[in-house]
Amino acid sequence: MAQTEAVKRRMELEAPERFMPVIDASLCKRCRKCVNECSYRALDFVDGNVRPAGGCVACGRCINVCPAHCIEIRQIPSQFPPHANFNERVRRAIMSQASTGGVLLTSCGTDIAYPVMFDEMVLDAAQVTNPAIDPLREVVETRTYVGGRKGRLRVNEKGPPYLDEDPGPIIAMDMPIMIGHISLGSVSYNAQKALFMAAKELNILAGSGEGGLHRDFLPYAKNVVSEIASGRFGVTGDYLKSTAAVEIKIGQGAKPGHGGHLPGEKVSAMISQTRMIPLGTDAISPYPHHDIYSIEDLQQLISVVKESVEYKVPVGVKIAAVHNVGAIASGIVRAGADFITIDGFRGGTGSTPRIIRDHVGLPIEVAISVVDQRLTKEGLRNRVTVFAGGSIRSSADMIKAIALGADAVMVCTAALVAMGCRVCQQCHRGMCSWGIATQREELASRLNPEVASARVVRLFRSWNEELKEILGAMGIDSVESLVGNRDRLRYFGPNSKIAEIMGVKHVGEGWG
Amino acid sequence: MKDMLEPENIANIPSHIDAELLDSVDVERFGASRPPGLSYQMGGCGIAGCIDLTGGRISGGVIARMLETMGERENGLGAGYACYGLFPEHRDDYCMQFFFDHETAKAEVEELLKGLGTITKDEKVFTQRVKSMKPPFPLVWRYFFRPNNKLEWRGRSDLSNDDFIVQLVMHINSELEGALCVSSGKDMAVFKGNGYSYEISKFYDLDRYSGQMWISHSRFPTNSPAWWGGAHPLSILDWAVCHNGEITSYGVNRKFVEMAGYRCSVLTDTEVVTYIWDLLVRKHRLPITAAAFAMAPWYHDDINRLDAESARLARWLRITYKEALLNGPFSIIVGKRQPEVTMITLADRKKLRPLLCGLSPDRKVAYAASEECAVRVVSPNAETWTPNAGSPMVAMAGRGVLRTGNELPFQGGV
Ligand code: SF4
Ligand code: SF4
Repeated sequence: MAQTEAVKRRMELEAPERFMPVIDASLCKRCRKCVNECSYRALDFVDGNVRPAGGCVACGRCINVCPAHCIEIRQIPSQFPPHANFNERVRRAIMSQASTGGVLLTSCGTDIAYPVMFDEMVLDAAQVTNPAIDPLREVVETRTYVGGRKGRLRVNEKGPPYLDEDPGPIIAMDMPIMIGHISLGSVSYNAQKALFMAAKELNILAGSGEGGLHRDFLPYAKNVVSEIASGRFGVTGDYLKSTAAVEIKIGQGAKPGHGGHLPGEKVSAMISQTRMIPLGTDAISPYPHHDIYSIEDLQQLISVVKESVEYKVPVGVKIAAVHNVGAIASGIVRAGADFITIDGFRGGTGSTPRIIRDHVGLPIEVAISVVDQRLTKEGLRNRVTVFAGGSIRSSADMIKAIALGADAVMVCTAALVAMGCRVCQQCHRGMCSWGIATQREELASRLNPEVASARVVRLFRSWNEELKEILGAMGIDSVESLVGNRDRLRYFGPNSKIAEIMGVKHVGEGWG
Repeated sequence: MKDMLEPENIANIPSHIDAELLDSVDVERFGASRPPGLSYQMGGCGIAGCIDLTGGRISGGVIARMLETMGERENGLGAGYACYGLFPEHRDDYCMQFFFDHETAKAEVEELLKGLGTITKDEKVFTQRVKSMKPPFPLVWRYFFRPNNKLEWRGRSDLSNDDFIVQLVMHINSELEGALCVSSGKDMAVFKGNGYSYEISKFYDLDRYSGQMWISHSRFPTNSPAWWGGAHPLSILDWAVCHNGEITSYGVNRKFVEMAGYRCSVLTDTEVVTYIWDLLVRKHRLPITAAAFAMAPWYHDDINRLDAESARLARWLRITYKEALLNGPFSIIVGKRQPEVTMITLADRKKLRPLLCGLSPDRKVAYAASEECAVRVVSPNAETWTPNAGSPMVAMAGRGVLRTGNELPFQGGV
């Protein structure tokens, strides 16, 4: 292929490859499966042999399809002269920007090794003075209610007590887990279907993400939290009323201060229909809602939405964890939200400017605790359900998030990993070889919704069992008694100031 | 800390106790002031209570025998008694009983009270030195107090008398060094301290009192200091709570009462349990059965077995008051005076701590205790039963045993 001088020049200056598929030619059956399955065209079949063609992202698809088990993906050792300050990551970013001249896009949560406070806390257990509870023999409850609360129940005072009617809309989930807002658009039809199927099977909630609900998914509406984001794509009154709850999305942990971003590559015919936008155009939501420039505006929108759903489903607000999150959360509760979702800065996304993903926001551990403390201080904590997300990777993270003050967690990346995602951070390119973050028919069809959904179901069931084990060990038989029970956490990290802010004692400190 | 108590009378250790064994616990001891660094205390315990259902009176000696019989449930780091129907001649005044570590604290409290209302009478609570007990001995003083008609507390003039007393007690207990208000209800008082149950009953000479109802508690704390203020019963207004257990949800329950304006100064789970009763029953006007259900609810799956109306109430109690759920093992005896002197018992929903109720053969006196021996020692032929997990027994002076604790939730008309 003839290359222009300019292209050649650019090639010379491009950063070196990071990964290389290595095929053991002695075992290879020359079936070409890997070549066909690689959506990034990183493999070629030349002269009867499979050869690397560059651009491998280590998604690992080829390894899984190879019948001869003869592919290995190597991380190419750094080709950069060592420099601790201008490290490889920094130099690669500079090189890409010099090539593209644009804001670097990326996806998933930040890959920078910020401290993870979840890993710096340990839990308590019961010994002698109170009995541990064996969840295999005794009841340990994990049901979690989602919705607003009045803080007080008015019961008739004479005769046997009763209530005339439910004090408000409320949803019961079988475990304190919500699958986060992963929109159709950011992921494929099959991927979203699998997530909704899992939510229904587990009797938990799943977010619709921005862009409305596909007609086919109406049967799952009772497990879906619909989202009103700044783009208002696909939002209609009937749609909102049909879902279990409505969430007004102000922000997302991976891109605080930014709106949704669906690259045109992913706007297929189906997406253009559900979102009601032209084929192939970038769907870029405004940064703020253009009818919310203040907390009063938010209050009005909450009222409008509550009116339009006739007070039949809870209405909540999702915000990115930012430095003043405590005060913002308090304002949101006062504005009438039935639930708040706080999304920490390590949270994932289908597409975001890398600069924001990596450098803006607040870790979820701190945000949960600050919000819980603030709402408690203002006497508001028992009015609202608090969801916390932003890199909940395991049941341990979930349990610690609850102990820090969340009623339930919101999980995205872990659910995708259960379905096959390898966290290769290429979602924004729309070429996901696992059929998840793509709209290409031939790729999306690789994901079998039944199989994927069963894997998500198994993952969360196992988390819930682990939650019960921990609750039992702590002598707690219902998960609500863990919510904000920071007494049962101890900090085990290098920075006791963080522990102080989170309201968690240091390891070695007892109760009395 | 100055030893304030000048012994007038010296009581000896009862003959059945081996004095040699009493010295074994060597800990720092505290009177009214909170021990430094204290953040939470816990322990196992013995509890006992008795109520005359006909409105008659029971001598302090009866409850002392009940409690002392369960000697294995205490280790000398605290015991106490609450008596109801104690001051018929002052029944309309709040009886505020204090521990003082020094005269300054007493003077401060008096000045505060005088500014906010009338002290209709005050007196030193009778105490006597018990040989085996170790100092400090706080001064125990009681004031019969009537708040001003035109009340104002920190700019608020909308407080009821009861709310005002709650705020006042919280203020004194958390702000005034060396003073601790141990009870503040009408026609009732708490007698407690640091020592074995028999030491405390001798210290106050309980035989000199009789009342319609007594509830009592002896402590077996595992890691908390020997603090007079930390002994049970914990009390606010006419509520008193004796509690055997360890609440694993303390952090959540504490947030719940603090949101409603209570300030935790004693830092025991029992203190929080006391405030939850006050909040749910007095402030939120829940029937006793509904409040008890909020604290020790049925499992979600079992709620479905209730009739539709009860199930709806049960569900919403769990949702609305999820922070009031007392998790972990406990059995409690709760006393209250309004509208009638009432004894309530409640055990956790897995019944991890013992609780037994009894009724004298003439059906005049109802009992509750951790162990059967406590009932038998005062009423050998009493009829006894064990209430269900999470189901309150309710006995009311003048009305009898309204609920045995074996009914379905919300049954029993209370
Ligand atoms: S999939 Fe495996 S066996 Fe088939 S061509 Fe690729 S490396 Fe060879
Ligand atoms: S969804 Fe696909 S593209 Fe995105 S990180 Fe996972 S494997 Fe990579």
